[in-house]
Order: sequence, then C-alpha cells, then structure tokens
Amino acid sequence: MHSILRGDRFLSRSLLLCVVCVLLIARNAPAQGNYEIQVYGADTVPPKNLMVELHSNYTVTGQPKVIDGVYPTNHQEHETLELTQGINGWAEVGFYVFTSEQDGHGVQWVGDHIRPRVRAPDRWHLPVGLSLSTEIGYQRAAYSTDTWTWEIRPIIDKTTGRWYFAFNPALERTLHGPDVKQGLGFSPGVKVSYDFTSVISGGFEYYADYGRLGAFDDLHQQQQQIFAVTDLNVSPKWEINFGVGVGPTAATDHLIVKGILGRRFDWGKKSAVE
Amino acid sequence: MLNRRRFGQLTGLAAGSAILSRPIRAATSPDVTLEIASYTLEASPRHAFRTVAYNGQVPGPLLRMRQGLEQRIEIRNSSKDPEVVHWHGLFLPSEVDGAMEEGTPMIAPGSQVQMNFKPDPPGFRWFHTHTFAGKDLTKAQYSGLHGFLLVEPRDHPGNYDREVFLALHDWGGRFEGGGDGSMNPVYDVSTINGKMLGFGEPVRVKHGEHVMMHLLNSSPTEVHWVALAGHSFKVIALDGNAVARSQTVSMLRLAPAERISAMVEMNNPGAWILGEVRKHIQSAGLGIVIEYAGAIGKPAWAQPGSLEWSYRRFAAEEQASQAGEEQTRINLVFDSKFEGHGSEEHWRINGKSYPDTDEPKLIEGRRYRLVMKNLSMDDHPLHLHRHTFEIRQVDGSPEMSGPRKDVVLVAAKTAAEVEFVADNPGKTLFHCHQQDHMDRGFMMVFRYA
Repeated sequence: MHSILRGDRFLSRSLLLCVVCVLLIARNAPAQGNYEIQVYGADTVPPKNLMVELHSNYTVTGQPKVIDGVYPTNHQEHETLELTQGINGWAEVGFYVFTSEQDGHGVQWVGDHIRPRVRAPDRWHLPVGLSLSTEIGYQRAAYSTDTWTWEIRPIIDKTTGRWYFAFNPALERTLHGPDVKQGLGFSPGVKVSYDFTSVISGGFEYYADYGRLGAFDDLHQQQQQIFAVTDLNVSPKWEINFGVGVGPTAATDHLIVKGILGRRFDWGKKSAVE
Repeated sequence: MLNRRRFGQLTGLAAGSAILSRPIRAATSPDVTLEIASYTLEASPRHAFRTVAYNGQVPGPLLRMRQGLEQRIEIRNSSKDPEVVHWHGLFLPSEVDGAMEEGTPMIAPGSQVQMNFKPDPPGFRWFHTHTFAGKDLTKAQYSGLHGFLLVEPRDHPGNYDREVFLALHDWGGRFEGGGDGSMNPVYDVSTINGKMLGFGEPVRVKHGEHVMMHLLNSSPTEVHWVALAGHSFKVIALDGNAVARSQTVSMLRLAPAERISAMVEMNNPGAWILGEVRKHIQSAGLGIVIEYAGAIGKPAWAQPGSLEWSYRRFAAEEQASQAGEEQTRINLVFDSKFEGHGSEEHWRINGKSYPDTDEPKLIEGRRYRLVMKNLSMDDHPLHLHRHTFEIRQVDGSPEMSGPRKDVVLVAAKTAAEVEFVADNPGKTLFHCHQQDHMDRGFMMVFRYA
C-alpha cells in the first residue's frame, strides 16, 4: 500500500506549482530520441526499492543520412540503462545512461538524464492513477542537435477489468541547441493493452511529436509511431516488454524493434513485523 | 451491481419481513433489540467514517445470553439496504441463522422482525451482517455491523476478576492491485473497539487481577496479530470453545471472524499497549492502552521480532489417529479465476463459483471430514455455519485432536482437514469469511439428505 499520512496538501500544491511553471516558461524541443520508448504508468517505485531497467531499441529502417552533423539513425542499436529509486510512497527519482552502437561508430555514450516523479497518493482515492514526471538531461550533439532538453510529463492511467489505458501528454523544451527559442513541443504517448492471461498482456503504444504547442508541424513533419507490444507479468520483481513499431511519416524512423527488461530490488530491511 | 446473490437477497425481502414477523409480533417485549441504522464512527478526531451500526455504537451492544434460555430478539432495519443478522457460532435453524443462502429471509429497509431462539453452545460468539458488498467497501462486513455475544454456560466457567471485550476492525478500504495480478482491499485505518490507538478510553485494570480478554477479529478481510507489552496470554478458548490444552503465548493471531478468549494476569504495573504486532498496522491505529490503577507516563510497547502462532499448540497432547473413526471425506479444492489486473478474481470451490458450487448432501449423525486444498496465493479463513468442527490437520501437520472451532485459516498453497458431525439439519453455508472472496463466489451450501 502506498499512502501517506501527512503532506497531501503540500503535494497537491507542489503538483499545481509545477504545472503552472511549465506553462509560464513554455517552448519547444524535439523528441528525445528512441532511447527509452515507454508510455509511463502512474505508479511509482516504492521506497527502499530500486528498479533497474535495460531498454534495448534497434532501428531497422531509419534515417540513413548525416543531417546537421547528427549520425543517421538507420541500424542504430540503443541500449539505455534506467535506474529508478523510490523515495517514499509518492515520489521516485530516475537516472538514465544512453548509449548507441552503430557500424562505423562503435559503442558510444550518448548522454544522461535525471527524472524526478511524484504521484497522487492512494489516500486521495482518485478514480484514475495520476502522476507528474519531469526529466532534464544532456545528449551529445552527434546524436541530437539540441544538447540540453527538458520534459514535463503528466501521466494518467486506469486499469479496468482486463483493460489498461495510459495517457502521457508530454511537453518538451530545448534548453540548449538550435530549437531553444521554439517554445514547448507537444509529444503525447498513449497505451492500450488487454490482459489475455494473468501473465500475458498485449496491446498498442502510440508515440508522437506534433511540434510546437499552438503551431503544430504539418503531418508530414510530425513524428508518429505505433507499436504492437506485449507485456509479460511473470513476477512482481520483473518487468518484460517487447514491441515492434512503425513510423508512417517522413520525419519518423519507419521500423523499430524495442524491448525492456526490468528487475526490482528491495533493499529495505524487512521482517514479518515491519 | 445485481448479481445472483444480490438478486436472491432482494427476492427474499418481502417474505422475510412477513414470515418472521407475523406470528411473533404480538408477543411480549423482546429480550434483545437491535436497530440497524446509519452512524458516524469517529476513530480519532481526524478519522471519521460514515457507516452503519447496531444501536448507534461500534461494536454493537454486548449481548449476554444464558445457554438454552429462550431469547426473544427484535431487529429493526432503519438503514437503506436490506439486512440480515448472522448469529455466528450458534447452532440455530437455517431460517434464523442469518444467511440468505441458507434461507434466512432478509429484513427490508424500514421493517422489523422478531425471532426466538435458544442460544447454544456456550462460549464467546458474535453477531454480524451477512450481506453483499461488491466494490462498495463501506458495506456488509466493511461496515460497523458487528457485536459481541457471550453465551454463558449453565455452570460458571472460570476464575477471573473482570472480562474485557475487544474487536479488531479495519476501515477506509479500497481495492489495490497486487503484484501477483490480484486485487485486494487495503485500509487507511485500523481500530480496536472502533477507536485508533490513543483515542479511546484505556482498559483500566488493577495489579493482581486476572482479566479474561475476549478478542474478536471482525475485520472484513485482514488477519491480525496482537500482543500485550509486558504480559502474556493464557489461551482458554478458540472461537468460544475451550481448548484441550491451555497454553501461554506472547501473541495471538486472529483471522477474520476468529475469536480468542485468553486470561491475562496483571502482574506488571504500568501503562501498556495492546496492539498489532506488525508496525505499520499499529501505526494505522490498531491498539488500545491497558492502564493499571495509579499508572503514570506514556504507554509502553515492546516490539516482538517475529510472528508466532499455531493451532497445533492447543491440540490434545495424545497423538490422534484416524483408525477406527468412520468418516466421509469431502474434498474441496480452492482456487481463483483471473479476471484482469483491474478486476477481482472469481473464487472457486472445486472449479465452481457460488451459486454454481456443488451442494454436498449430509446424512444426519454421520461424521464428515473436509479435506481442503488451497491452491491460491491467498490465505482463507473458512467458516462453517451452524456447526463446530475439529481441526485434524493444518499445513502438513501430523494428525491431531485439534481445537474445536467454526473458522480455520487455510494458508496459501497449503492443505487443512477438519471434521464435524452432521447434527443440525438444515441448509448449512460454508464460505471464506473474507468479504471480497465470498462476494466473488467463495461459498457453498451443504444440504441434509
């Protein structure tokens, strides 16, 4: 059970303050690349727990040319290590190490991000899961012209019967790079899945980058990806996700295979009376 | 939600109010009156729960009855929902036992019924609602509809200076998904006698007293472990039935609907906490202060390092044997059917959920052995209405002449065997006492041939 006995008012004000700050300093950034392809659920990692995830993504058909000094995405293999530490019943911090492997470039470090996240405590008894994530980080110019980016991601999810729905209306902003003056970009993510059994779930994930908020790019220039995915719920300690995605627009990598393997470590001192 | 159980409750309403009330209404004034009505429980100044209660109190009134002495009971339902009162642990006819599944009529909102019965067997019993809650975790056993019933034997039982009645309960429930794909209730607040630790009146005792503590776990779903700092419990009875071997223990485990009667010798003056052994549940409020006369200072708690309990400790010392005892075995396998990570699973006995479960036929006078195999990941407190059984095996233990009870906790992935004599003809309900499990099909009815 994740719940807090105090601090609800503080938390609700903090959430509100974060949203207001985002809207006040709005501007745009490109998507943060196919390093972590995941629609977030609203739950956070429990305190004294560490979630270790490896995101493995391979671009089967992508951008084949060097553009503005950025390496082509075609046949890039991305390995991202994500470490998420639970702080308390309603907060966690995630840390990412992005790497890329490609013929001619070998294995390269791409960048790092940090991602604090808070969620509405269970005590609020909301009909949906609700949380707010913010992510800031650096990526090398050889992999993204915008080297410092920031994202804020509201997360809404709901499990009902065998169905699971998640919506991440993420807003992104460039802090350093060519797009620094473009304001907020809108990059929603959606997941719909169905429990075929207690272990096997399947569904679809949708990722997009529509461009600048209030002045979306033409459809041709938008990034649009849809993945057929499966989640294997083999154990509360393990997270296994696998998917194949297509990008139909010109600005999107056309075929990507992705996988997530996660393991939860509970290092809190636990006895039956705890 | 209108499922088959709920439909049955509604269709039984009209008949219930009429059949039970008509022949008795003109009789003399009742010995016991229970009024079921809305009530706001203040577990602490910061934790109030709108609920339903008997006679405007949680727990309901303590009822004391004399074994075999006829009681006239009047029940008024001033709530907005159909109700029924189950007399848990008594050998009553099905029509008044208090379960719609056995044929006890429901009491319609705004109506009242009267009933007569002779309470038996003696011991610590209780009464509670026996309705459907479904997804509403304020109804049925999640509510305040529970109370103590002590059936006093014809001969006075024991040597004690005072009795204390304590009910453990959980409030503010909501369903939460578990890591194994199941949905289970979790709670914000836990109480003893409706109050969180530190917010109720302490139990006041005197040095040298022998206090008989009657503990009831009225929680809708949760098992509780309790200890009394600085003291130990001498267990006298389980579920109101005297144990073959009285044992002194440092803590008690009570599954939902279980009762324990234990003597505590007040030999350690001070102010002490009687509370949940697990820290997070005591923090949620499950505790009460035991205060010696003249004691000053903050109540003390001594944290046990582990959870310890076994039915076997209270079994007769001689090794039990099946040889020579003729009994009919009834095999019962418990499991669940996954309905999605966002739904509660359906519970099954031998592959079927109530009302489609089998209805084994009992022959009066014959001895039966329930051979229970729990394939699920949950513990289940199994309750047999209108009868008492003897625990013969739990969790792979050798055969024993175990305590006589009406609830037995069958732990996850284990087996248990109990025996009872079919000596009370009429429909007899057998079910998991975890409210969400019985709501989701974990029930069956035994019929007498």
